[in-house]
Amino acid sequence: MKTKHTLLLLFIIPLLSFTTHKYYLSLTQLTYKSEAKSIQIIMNVFMDDIEVALNKDYNIDLQLTTKKELKNNDVYFESYLKEKLLFKVDGIAKTFNYIGKEYDGDLVYFYLEIENINQLETIHVTNNILTKHFPEQQNLVKSKVGKKNKSVLLTKDDNNTTLKF
Amino acid sequence: MKKLGLLLFSFVFVATSYGQITKQGHTNQNKFRQLKQELPTPNLERTASGAPGKEYTQQKVDYSMDIILDDEKTKITGAETITYHNNSKDNLTYLWVQLDQNMRAKDSKTPDISPNSIPNKLSKSRFDKNYVEEAFDGGFNIMSVTNMDSSKLSYTINQTMMRINLPNPLASGATFKFNIEWWYNINNHREDGGRSGYEHFPEDGNNNYVIAQFYPRMCVYDNVEGWQNDQFWGRSEFALEFGDFTVNITVPEDHMLGATGVLQNPKDVFSKKELKRREEASKSFSEPVIIRTQEEAEKIEKSKATKTKTWKFVAENVRDYAFATSRKFIFDAMAVNINGKTVMAESLYSKEANPLYGDHSTRAVAQTLETYSKYTFDYPYHKAISVDGQMGMEYPQICFNPGRPDLEDGGYSDRMKYRMVKVTIHEVGHNFFPMIVNSDERQWTWMDEGLNSYMEMLAELDYDKDFPIVRGYPKNIVKYMAGDQSKIAPIMSKGDNVYAFGNNAYGKPATALWILRETIMGKELFDHAFKTYSQRWMFKRPSPADFFRTMEDASGIDLDWFWRGWFYTTDVTDIGIKSVKKYNTKEVEDSVEFVEDTSEGLGFASKQNKYHYEITYEKPGGLVMPIIVEFTYKDGSKEKKTYPAQIWRYTDDEVTKVFSSTKQIASIMIDPDLETADVDTSNNSFPRQDASKFDQFKEKVKN
Repeated sequence: MKTKHTLLLLFIIPLLSFTTHKYYLSLTQLTYKSEAKSIQIIMNVFMDDIEVALNKDYNIDLQLTTKKELKNNDVYFESYLKEKLLFKVDGIAKTFNYIGKEYDGDLVYFYLEIENINQLETIHVTNNILTKHFPEQQNLVKSKVGKKNKSVLLTKDDNNTTLKF
Repeated sequence: MKKLGLLLFSFVFVATSYGQITKQGHTNQNKFRQLKQELPTPNLERTASGAPGKEYTQQKVDYSMDIILDDEKTKITGAETITYHNNSKDNLTYLWVQLDQNMRAKDSKTPDISPNSIPNKLSKSRFDKNYVEEAFDGGFNIMSVTNMDSSKLSYTINQTMMRINLPNPLASGATFKFNIEWWYNINNHREDGGRSGYEHFPEDGNNNYVIAQFYPRMCVYDNVEGWQNDQFWGRSEFALEFGDFTVNITVPEDHMLGATGVLQNPKDVFSKKELKRREEASKSFSEPVIIRTQEEAEKIEKSKATKTKTWKFVAENVRDYAFATSRKFIFDAMAVNINGKTVMAESLYSKEANPLYGDHSTRAVAQTLETYSKYTFDYPYHKAISVDGQMGMEYPQICFNPGRPDLEDGGYSDRMKYRMVKVTIHEVGHNFFPMIVNSDERQWTWMDEGLNSYMEMLAELDYDKDFPIVRGYPKNIVKYMAGDQSKIAPIMSKGDNVYAFGNNAYGKPATALWILRETIMGKELFDHAFKTYSQRWMFKRPSPADFFRTMEDASGIDLDWFWRGWFYTTDVTDIGIKSVKKYNTKEVEDSVEFVEDTSEGLGFASKQNKYHYEITYEKPGGLVMPIIVEFTYKDGSKEKKTYPAQIWRYTDDEVTKVFSSTKQIASIMIDPDLETADVDTSNNSFPRQDASKFDQFKEKVKN
């Protein structure tokens, strides 16, 4: 029932005289830092969307940025991101460190880092962020290795890609 | 002799053509050139100062209507007499009427102009709606259009508009009266969307009606657009004339109803108990008084009356009419003191919206009336109602708002509370823009949405000083303005044709006004000018030029460059520091010589009485904006200097400026408080701060 309401909302909002964000997009920026031998990752998503997703998946009530904000919510974010966001560097699966998050307006920024990468030729990204609850979700991945920039737009059905540098 | 002359001539000619290349001229591209080409020429109706001129006119349209709601068939039947006062200086050979409901008719062209594609997946119900079920049978069914003597009046329907073919031209100053009878099926707005409609509650079989665009209403005729001739496609809203309304609305006997206008027969529609509580509410300035309680409403919604009741209203000087009605409605109200005049703040909501609406709806209405009145003009109407309509849509004296409890225990989260209060303030705020400052929404969405989104921020901060503002601050608009230019339109675009509607018509203009107030003009000059605009155009129809001109005229600040950049282009702010040179001074006889100190960084090699810095500022962004510089001295103290935008009037790409100080500078930062919506801050500091956003965050977490 709840899902139905959310879905309805997606269709109705564009007609109203008050508008909230009407698009469903996340941005994941990957930067390879050769001096630090790490891939630095900054990902941002709309706060209300990720809150809906986590509340449903973990049966919690996050209430982000409010006085009633659920404490230790990083546990859930880390678990969610590690389940939905997967990386392979030169064909080998790599996990990332969850460094933390910060809020900016209606966005949440996550800071993640894959360490001990001496060199790389390809990064394979699987991104399932928010696609379960928001079928229209699009996940933009931008990457920078050395002087090469690559970007790709992932969706629910086209959820992974290999970036070659 | 002739030969010699020819020889001389060719010599001169050759010399000239060898000597120089003919230079090409150019037109004035200076970003500070005035908006002479963009703005209409001032005239006696609209002056160069931005005020209405001595020959300003607007039409007046009075409506007398009998409306019947059929709850069983979710259908509205109406009969109206329109009295059209031609106050213009022109004789009119025809009149145009708006038939907004036809946007939902089976032959509507709105779906035809919306590109679509096969999605990967749809919910079953959405699939049925889009691909299986027959389209909703909406749109006006016009039963008759007649003269006052009941004879038929010729008319032509063109989609969402209807031309009345007058038997004789309507002379300037004359009045024409005619009748229309119609009916239409009401849409379920929760399932099909829309700016009005009904919500169905399967549990008790009831409907909450929030009804608007329910009657054929006159198009605007003025000297800016002529007859407004742009169809209602569904997004760009309304252009309407002021007038007086006498409306009788017949609904099931057990309904609670709210509408535009002063209720004429309270004794016929309220119980004795409710009349008494209504009286109490009109004296309660500190908290709402519940006129129909949840307990009473819950009892009423369990059965369905077969008899009807007629609510009678008179509304003076309004541009539109709307109402909300349901047997589920709880009703509360409180009094608001607007400069000595009592105005009622009211709410209608079903139990599904409580306790959220009971706690915040009427209070948010009251706050809006107070804050907006302070910055514009005293709210001139007698009331403002917020309805649990589960959308966000505004009409005179009444608006339909979203938000219901979202927690398992029936309570609501802070996010839900703030969202509901935010939209309520926004929609109630529309009473000022465009219900009273009656801009043309069909042409210019930003004129009401942008101004209202800006005012909304002030009311939100008055409601709760920690109110989470998500739109309107310069930093909030950076992502949009820095985005893909092929998906951005200038603010000065028609609403139907812009890409990111919310950012284009709400966020960016609200930010522009915020920047004018906080950074460019200052609060005092801005507030005076904004109030002047509001009061000049109260109950009149301003155009963009009237706003631009008044803001300059009343503040004594030329802002043509700001309007040009922020409203007519999609340019962005990006100002940075390109380089810094340091100079010592040396006295040589009668003069002083400047000697460059070429040591690394901002520090000087030796102590000086005064340190001179020659700073080159670069501007990769197309917008001209003030350069806000913060100098941090070696002793840790700071000094801020703002160079007005006009510093860019000779060169648009870079400018050099000297800064002299008795103390040495350690670092320089542009726009330290993020006031200008700078899209690239990587060039804002000197020496460059190389630490990336990632490294900065990691460092912060470590500490």
